[in-house]
Formats: sequence, C-alpha cells, structure tokens
Amino acid sequence: MKNIFLCLTLAILLPLLCEAQEDAFRYLEPIEKKYAGLKDYTADVKIHFDMETFKAPDMEAKIYYKFPDKVKVESKRVIFFPKEGGHFNPALFKEKDYEIKLLKALSDAGKNTVRLRLTPKTMKRNLKRLILTIDTDRNIIPEMEVIQFDGRKMKASIEYMTSNGFDLPSHIKLNIDIPSYDTEGVSEFDQWFKKPKGVNGSIEMTYSNYVINSGYRFDFFKRSRPSRKR
Amino acid sequence: MKLFLLETFKTFSRWRTYISFAVIALIVILTEVVMKLSGDEIVNRMLKPFQRDFFISGNVLNVWLITAFIMNSLHIHIPFLITLVAGDMVSSEATAGTIRFLLIRPPSRIRIITAKYLTALFYTAILVIFFAVLCVCLGLTLFGSGDLIVHHYGQFDVAFIPESEVPVRIFLSFIAAIWAMSVVASIAFLFSTLAENSIGPIIGTMAVVIVFLVLGSLPLDFFRMLKPYFFTTHMINLWQQFLEVPIQWHVIVRSAIVLGIHNICLFLTAMFMFKRKDIKS
Repeated sequence: MKNIFLCLTLAILLPLLCEAQEDAFRYLEPIEKKYAGLKDYTADVKIHFDMETFKAPDMEAKIYYKFPDKVKVESKRVIFFPKEGGHFNPALFKEKDYEIKLLKALSDAGKNTVRLRLTPKTMKRNLKRLILTIDTDRNIIPEMEVIQFDGRKMKASIEYMTSNGFDLPSHIKLNIDIPSYDTEGVSEFDQWFKKPKGVNGSIEMTYSNYVINSGYRFDFFKRSRPSRKR
Repeated sequence: MKLFLLETFKTFSRWRTYISFAVIALIVILTEVVMKLSGDEIVNRMLKPFQRDFFISGNVLNVWLITAFIMNSLHIHIPFLITLVAGDMVSSEATAGTIRFLLIRPPSRIRIITAKYLTALFYTAILVIFFAVLCVCLGLTLFGSGDLIVHHYGQFDVAFIPESEVPVRIFLSFIAAIWAMSVVASIAFLFSTLAENSIGPIIGTMAVVIVFLVLGSLPLDFFRMLKPYFFTTHMINLWQQFLEVPIQWHVIVRSAIVLGIHNICLFLTAMFMFKRKDIKS
C-alpha cells in the first residue's frame, strides 16, 4: 500500500518538477538564441584590483574567447585574470548541464528581472551553484553569483554595451569572498601558524575594442603556462 | 688611505680571496641554469594557491624573481664566504709571524686595525656586488625582464612590483645586503683579533650566525619572543623589506641602525683587543 502511495506521489510530482525546470529554462533560452551567432571574440581589458592581499597595479590585457569554453588572456606584462566571472561566456548555461530553478521574478522601475538558481548536474570545477539575475527585457545577465563547494563566493555585476549587434560586457565588477584556501606546505606543528584569514575584495574589468567572429582556431587556445620568456 | 690600499692589495693578492668569488659564480650559474630547465615546476609551485582562481600569463620567471630567490640564500652561504677573508685579516698576521713586524712600524695600532677593518668591509662589498652583477646579468640573458611577483609562501598574498620599479628596488636591496653582511665581517674581524690562526674565527663566526639563524627560525613562542633581538633577524629584514609592497621604511631604518650599532660595537671591541694585544710573548 505504502509503495503504491509513493509511486503515485512520484508520478504526480515528477512532471511538475520537470515542468518547473522547463519553465525556468525559458528565461535562459532567449539568451542562448541571442548569442548563438557569437562564435568568438577578442577584447581589450583593463583590470583593477581592490584586494588587501593582492597588491597589484592596474593591468591591461587582451582576452580571446571561442565558443564553447576556450579562453586565452595575453599581456605584455605579468597578469592575473579571474577564471570565474571575469569574462563573458554565453555558452556557460546549457540546460543539460544544470538543474534550473526560478527563485524570484521582479519588476522594478519598468525593468523585468528574474533570479535563477543553477545547480550543476555533475560536479565540475568545484562549482556548487550559480545564481543568475536575468534582465528579461534585454535578455542579458546583469548579475551572476558563483558559489563553490569550499565556500568561495564570487559575484559579478555586469554592465553591457552593444558591439556588432551583440550585447557584450563593458564593465564587470567581481566581488570575491574566499573563506579559506590551500596552505599546502605550511607546517601544522608551527606554533606561529595561524589559520589564514579569508580573502575578500573586488576586481573590476573594463572591456573595450571588441572584435567578433574572427574565426580563431582551437589550437590558438592551447594552454600557455605562466613563466619563461615572453 | 695608504694603509687601506696596502691591506686591500695584500688581501686581493691571496688566492684564497678568490675562492669566494668562484663559489658564488658556481652557485649562481648552477641555480640559474637549473631554474631555466625546471622553471615551470617552480612557477607552478609558487603560484599554486592562485592557479585555481586566476589565469596567469606573462613572464613570471624573470631575472628579478630569480635574483630575489637566490638572494634568499644570502644569509647562509655569503656569511661563510665573507668569514674566509674577514676572519683571516688579523689572525693571518699572527699565523705568518708578521704581526710583530707590523706593529713595530710607525703607523699606530688604531690606524692599522682601522685599515684592516675597512679592507674587510671593502671585500664584503665587492663580494656582494659581484654576486649582484652576476645574478642580474646572467638572469637577464637567460630569463629576460618583467614584473616581480612577491609571494609569501603558503599564503593567498601576492604583490606586484612593476618592471620599471624593480631594478631600483633590487639595487637598494643589494646595498642593504652589503650593510647586513658587514655585521658578519665585523664578527669575523673581531674573532680574528682574538685568535692566532684563521680556522677559529671562520668557524666561530659561522657558529654564531648559524645558531642565531636556527634559533630565529624555530617555531616556538620562546624564540619568537627573542627573535626581534637577533642580529640575523635584522640582517634578513633589511634587504627583504625593499621587496615588500609598500616598503616598510621604519623597519629598514630600525634594522639599519641596529646593524650599524653592532658594527660599531664589534669594531670598537676589536680595536680594544688589538690595542691590548701582547706581541712580546
């Protein structure tokens, strides 16, 4: 009797759950379609760090992106560029990769936005979930929150400009909150050793001079290691 | 001045003086060649805390990083090389039996000891300058220039020193290194005035340096409390502070003064001992 009741409950709930997923994805679908023609881009980026433990001058670099997930950053000088939230990747939010849930739909000052929670179906890059704020009028993502399993949080606030018919970031402010980090090699025996305090701060990236669909080859994005000669 | 020139000529006429230069050349060349061959591994290890969160590109492993890396071993091998000569300045006269001839000449004992001390300091400076020139010249050839990334091991803490600023900072840190190493020369020189052979001052100086370095690095609260009073702490602090962001000038000034006081006290003690030296027996 119990089993029958359980089966009935599942039979009723499962389509509802699937529907909820489908319903939430309808906010991402227009974005996917909007950027379907974006195969690659390059842009100049200026980076400003505002982190206590990251004393760096403003940096300039060139970023290369190729659909679906190839990224390369080049600079004449040494450069640190944030992996999560630092660049725009429209192919990041595939329905097959996430369980998508609608958190909130807002309408404020004539702007319609929704907040979605994306939970990866498979463990990848230590990613626990993404919280996206979507401007449903322009089909852009003005805010993205990345939450990782170890408690790291990154929140990107993105401003857009139109370049070659595509809305692409002109400015990204990335707030970083790292509660702990790898301290491999530091002896626990050490009486002086104090658990490192968390790291937080922000990184601002200003994009300009977009060049779109230049047709970069995949081998151009072969991982280059930081070191050696320029 | 004439005495100083004579002492300098005497010092640089001995073949043992050049052992230090040869050793430094060997250390620097070997280190830089090995770093050239295994550079990726070193950079990856250094930047591991950041590689998860950042794309890192550019010439991280450049001459300035290599120079700073090699300079970190300054407080271990350079003192030994300095003692080889500074510890021999006065004691070699006793060993060779020339001290009586030296002291019956017209120049006063104070002038003689001052000339010898200045020679020891001059040798120290030349050795560190040789070390600096070799590090930088070979490093520039092998690795090229770039921004200096200063990273505190095991911490999510990094500071960039722009390429335009690094040469001046490296130059200042080598000047600071000369000042720091002059204390080792002073200790060796003091021991040299007390001994009749050169082995004692060399071993004695190294023992003092090593004991203080070891005590200063022991991870125990008791030694942590004492560490600010060790001359070795100021020796290391002094040059390393020029590679911090921002430069802690008050730490540099304090360390420079502490080391200066050490130098004066050690030299005055050496002078006192030398003046009282009995050459009749």
